[in-house]
Amino acid sequence: MTPGSRRPTQRWEFAWFEVARKTPRRSPINRQGTDTSVRLIPARAQPQEMRYAEASARIQEAALPGGLRAVRHMIASCMLWLGCFHALSGGGLAQDLPRVRDGLVALYDFGSLKGELVPDRSGFLEVADTKLDDPDAVTLAGGSLMIDRPTRLRSLERVAKIADLVRVSGELTVEAWIEPVAQGEATSAGIVMMSNGTSQHNFALVQAGDRFEARFRTSRTGTGEAHPLRTPEASARPALTHVTFTRDRTGRARVFLDGEIASEATIAGSASDWEKTTLLIGNGPRGREPWLGSVYLVAIYGRDLLAEEVGRNFRAGPSLVEPVPVKVSARPTLFEDKIAPLLASHCLDCHDSAVRQAGLDLSSRESALAGGDHGNAIVPGAASESLVWLMAESEAMPQNRPPLSAAQKQALREWIDGGAAWPYETIDPALDGRGGHDLPSAVRRLTASEYAASIRSATGVDLSDEAARLVPPDLRADGFENTAYNLTVDLRHVEAYARLAESAAERIDIKRMVGDGTDLADSRIRRMGERILRGPLSEREIDLYRTLAESVRSSGGSFEGAVRHVVEAMLQSPRFLYRIEQQKGDGSRWPTDAHELAARLSYIIWGEPPDTALSTAAAAGTLHDVEELRSQVRRMLADPRAVARSVEFVAQWLDLGRLETLRPDSEQFPLWNPQLGADMRSETIAFFKDLVWDQRRPLADLLNAQFTYLTPPLATHYGLDGQGSGLRRYELAGIPSRGGILTQGAVLTKGGSEASMVTRGLFVLEDLLFGEVGSPPPGTDTTPVPASAGRSRRAIATDRVESPACGGCHGRFEPLAFGLERFDGLGSYHDIDEHGNELREDGEILFPGSDEPVAYATSAEMMELLAASDRVRRNLTRKVTQFAIGRPLSPTDDPAVDGIHRRSQASGGTYASLIEAIVTSDLVRRSQTEP
Amino acid sequence: MTNRHISRRTVLRGVGGIGIGLPLLDEMRASASAAVPVRAFNVFFGLGIPAPLQSEGFDGVMEPLRPLADRLLILRNVDQVRCDESGINAHFDGSSGAFTAEPPNGEARAGGPSIDQVVRQTHYPNGQPRGVTPTVIAGTYFRRSRISRYVHSYRSDGTVAAAMQEKPRDLFDRVFGRIELPEGAAGEKERFRRSVLDAVVGQYQHFIGDNSPLGAESRSRLADHLDRIREFEQRAFSQRREEPNGPQLPPRSRIAHGGYADPGGEGIDMDLAALTSEWRLTADLYALAVEMDRVRFGSLTFLAAGERLRIRGDYEFAGRKVFEFDDAGQRDATGAKACSHEWWHDYKPESQNPQLRAHAHMHLREAAYFLHRLDAVRDANGQSALQNSMVTVSTESGDGRHSDVKRELSGVFHAISGAGGRFKTGQILDLGSEALDLYNTMLDAMGATDRLGPADREGRPTDSIRA
Repeated sequence: MTPGSRRPTQRWEFAWFEVARKTPRRSPINRQGTDTSVRLIPARAQPQEMRYAEASARIQEAALPGGLRAVRHMIASCMLWLGCFHALSGGGLAQDLPRVRDGLVALYDFGSLKGELVPDRSGFLEVADTKLDDPDAVTLAGGSLMIDRPTRLRSLERVAKIADLVRVSGELTVEAWIEPVAQGEATSAGIVMMSNGTSQHNFALVQAGDRFEARFRTSRTGTGEAHPLRTPEASARPALTHVTFTRDRTGRARVFLDGEIASEATIAGSASDWEKTTLLIGNGPRGREPWLGSVYLVAIYGRDLLAEEVGRNFRAGPSLVEPVPVKVSARPTLFEDKIAPLLASHCLDCHDSAVRQAGLDLSSRESALAGGDHGNAIVPGAASESLVWLMAESEAMPQNRPPLSAAQKQALREWIDGGAAWPYETIDPALDGRGGHDLPSAVRRLTASEYAASIRSATGVDLSDEAARLVPPDLRADGFENTAYNLTVDLRHVEAYARLAESAAERIDIKRMVGDGTDLADSRIRRMGERILRGPLSEREIDLYRTLAESVRSSGGSFEGAVRHVVEAMLQSPRFLYRIEQQKGDGSRWPTDAHELAARLSYIIWGEPPDTALSTAAAAGTLHDVEELRSQVRRMLADPRAVARSVEFVAQWLDLGRLETLRPDSEQFPLWNPQLGADMRSETIAFFKDLVWDQRRPLADLLNAQFTYLTPPLATHYGLDGQGSGLRRYELAGIPSRGGILTQGAVLTKGGSEASMVTRGLFVLEDLLFGEVGSPPPGTDTTPVPASAGRSRRAIATDRVESPACGGCHGRFEPLAFGLERFDGLGSYHDIDEHGNELREDGEILFPGSDEPVAYATSAEMMELLAASDRVRRNLTRKVTQFAIGRPLSPTDDPAVDGIHRRSQASGGTYASLIEAIVTSDLVRRSQTEP
Repeated sequence: MTNRHISRRTVLRGVGGIGIGLPLLDEMRASASAAVPVRAFNVFFGLGIPAPLQSEGFDGVMEPLRPLADRLLILRNVDQVRCDESGINAHFDGSSGAFTAEPPNGEARAGGPSIDQVVRQTHYPNGQPRGVTPTVIAGTYFRRSRISRYVHSYRSDGTVAAAMQEKPRDLFDRVFGRIELPEGAAGEKERFRRSVLDAVVGQYQHFIGDNSPLGAESRSRLADHLDRIREFEQRAFSQRREEPNGPQLPPRSRIAHGGYADPGGEGIDMDLAALTSEWRLTADLYALAVEMDRVRFGSLTFLAAGERLRIRGDYEFAGRKVFEFDDAGQRDATGAKACSHEWWHDYKPESQNPQLRAHAHMHLREAAYFLHRLDAVRDANGQSALQNSMVTVSTESGDGRHSDVKRELSGVFHAISGAGGRFKTGQILDLGSEALDLYNTMLDAMGATDRLGPADREGRPTDSIRA
């Protein structure tokens, strides 16, 4: 319930790393400077370059009797420590990093084992501790668990985390440091496996005679017994061996022995139906696959390790160095989390580089430390000598504003007394002043338009009109109607979904849906489900729909009736009505599941479900290949559905729906008729489509393109000569006052009948320049002052800008509307207003973060300045990105958004390039999980 | 509720001749329990009451509350946190803080839960009895640029607790409506429909269960959806078919809704009788829903924060003409400049402010109308629903000129009911407290352990409100 709370930003690293933090300079809205990534430096060398297997093999060659295996382990152990010494003394590869931890989900070692319990030391939230079936069957020696006679380690409970991860990513790594005993027969002996208790393994790493075998169950392999990946003959020797099996999302599977690839193949198919199962070490689920030998270490990763990472783990050796969590100093984050927002929200209105009241600029480290007219604002280490603290503590500042809260004051003092660390140079109120918009991930209900499109796509039945009538409209929140947190459900939704599902089911083409025949076999349910529910069905779901079909049939219903009712149920499933995605995890960002990724793509680009090509790519696992992803995006952008989706974006961004009910002051605008509002909407949409899709120009050209689309009445309204009939393109090269969305009625009407300079200026500041401005001080008379003879709206605005009390804020945004003064509240152009005041179009723009305003002589020049501004381009990036991901951007998104912007601009800054950059970014390709 | 007397036919009267006949059949009740249910409602009215006018007691604009004086604890000198987001005006600020005491977290999301929802979660963590609509949000309002201007019931994540019912018919359908499925619901077709719903429910149960791949927030959302499905199921299959004497649908709304209610912030012309007629019908339906135990939590809004209406009509109270509303004429203006909310911006403590007084008086008359309706509902313990429920009446700041510049949202009007004897009534209390502390004290008295506001904030209980 803490207002505006953000996700905690404490960071934890491990003792074997030192943390180096960068303090880069950053551009005003470039969040790169706030990248808190750490540079990892090995704190101490790890045992490296020890050819353990070779050492052990040499020992083995000495052919010690079986009873002396313990001695052999002692010797092997000595060799390990010799290796450590070797490395520490400089003989090893000191620059090598220790074992890979990224993606680690389960880890077992036996160096400090006591009792029959072997704990999972991965640190993953879900713990998968294991227990020995028969402690007497093993011997602990030299950091290993010697399995002398058949037994096994078995997870105490079925393990979900591995299946959860692999289902999503399709990736897996199973690593084992082992020393097998010689095995005469080529029967399968289980080293590590996950099994459901029968013969169905999710994966299995086994020894079969003198080979190792790895199995990975997919939708193509059945139970997983088929198509094992085998290492060469004689590769499984009675020697200390590092065995690693990896499988990537494209299906490429490899077995590494001692860091080298020993075998490679493709295991195609999806792991989407992996369920949580028991983890076993040393034997199979029924005890019929006993493996004998020594286990030093077993690790499982929810991703495929690269070859160099496998090599790194090999070089790290079989002994595990205990990682000691160390909390990274929170001091640098105090600035990011509390101080920068505090300064942005409470100080910079008056004390930034542009206003510099009392000569003080608190927007950058350098200027803040330089102080102002009254002395030192911030004295690092001494709050009691810092004016910022003294004024805040006495509540003299913020002047005429609510004082800082006790918690804010405490943070401020702590920060200054702690040295006033300032990890980047410039504070940007638009970024740093934002409250927390971070929310737990929420499923997204389909919007009304997405729902209608999804019904059509899934069933071939077009219910758009019925859906528009029955499904409650989505309300605008934070600028768009697809904002996930506001897509709630009322009884009317449920009723509409039920009626429409029934209606669609009654009209489906049965043959098209399930093919010929009269038996609703599982395969047909599966096929229907994959189409309607946008991905494979689990066995549970197939059971559910089979039961429904059987219920209909047993009640005397026909085959067709059964199909229709299954369709009806699927269309009301949360998997249809929501964009369901895997969210459970460890709190980090996981790769997005292939089918979820396909759905993300299709709803972002088209606003409807994936088509066959996209679903096929998802099923084949190729969608995670960036080039394949790009290829799909380009194909989809060439589809007319992409145009329709982009129109939804611009309509919501500019709130074009408002024009349908626009009713200006009838006394002031007696000639207004509602059709003009509709024409204004059509103008902006046609203009957008021409620029974005026909000409494929950069999005920033929306600000200054010299053409538009008008109906004759709208042309007359604008003071232009109407041409022909209907909506037509008009070239504006000879009409300098017009050109770009800011000169279109759709935007100009935002200022109301009075053409409010405040409203227009705030629109330019907030919706184009990504700027922020504080709210009016308490007690301010905010009553609009009407223009009158001798006092134009600009003159009134200028009074505010020049007022010491108001100018600090109004100077930031009202001049942005000066260039629009000649457009009245409905977008008509005048040289004088209704009171006879002469109107002007010159002005100046103070770009947020800049010290000096830039002057313009005409509105056309103003449009040129805006179109050329990277600030405007970045804001367009942010708007499209917000619409694409369906939620307000949070501060944690900023690095990703910055990357999207750079990639998009490098590709021309077009809508298409922006969409491609968005869907290939981590915002789409990775999913935030919850512990 | 078995002890209550309910007339066979209660006529809900709205001003202007609108009335609906409702046979209050016993089977319309959601619950047959004799216990008085825990209930909490937030009542919001727009534009506020300047603090100096609150000091006039029942002789001034608070006159309409005089008949309810022994049912209410009227609280003055209650301050709200500055709830604004950058660039957003004081109307939105105050509106967002009402009943949450926290700044907003987006245009359509509060900074935390509203007090009614905390109580709901405390007393019904596993849901309310079958037939009770979990939360009902309704109102008569026009300014709708941001949802927080008119919605006043929020879940723990700050999202709206239910959909707004802005037309009497919508409210009626939401609470009393029976769902008529095509081709009837009998026989084979009904069996198949039930089977389909069973499969649908099975899917939802999976996604909110232990094996769900979803996070907590998502599961909560789907659980809400499942609740709606169960309501749908009950109304489609379990409720009796409409009887000849059954509830009649209220008349169609005669005032503007949707985008037409707020055309670009310019305001609309409004006849006072049309306004109060629609509002009173909404209030009647809401009170009836309480009486029938169809609703225990939610909010009711009379005019949004920063409402923009150009009201015309004679305003009467207690048989006397109080004022003649003619905003456009009296302001000699058109469009937004002629709207009644400009009277608030013109407020001067040293002046008489007759127009503002009349409007504020009218706002409280309409809020009191709903309270009277609740007071007419008898619970099993012989007390009224107003006495037994936690009813909180509040508003926005309106205009901060009455306050000091450090606390714009100070002196925000509040009134609370007795909540089953938990709180004092019959007093006007100068509380001198933060609304956050007031709300948390109320929650404590209602048995809730959750608190509003920052976790590390030291609370200052306002025990003077306790009975």
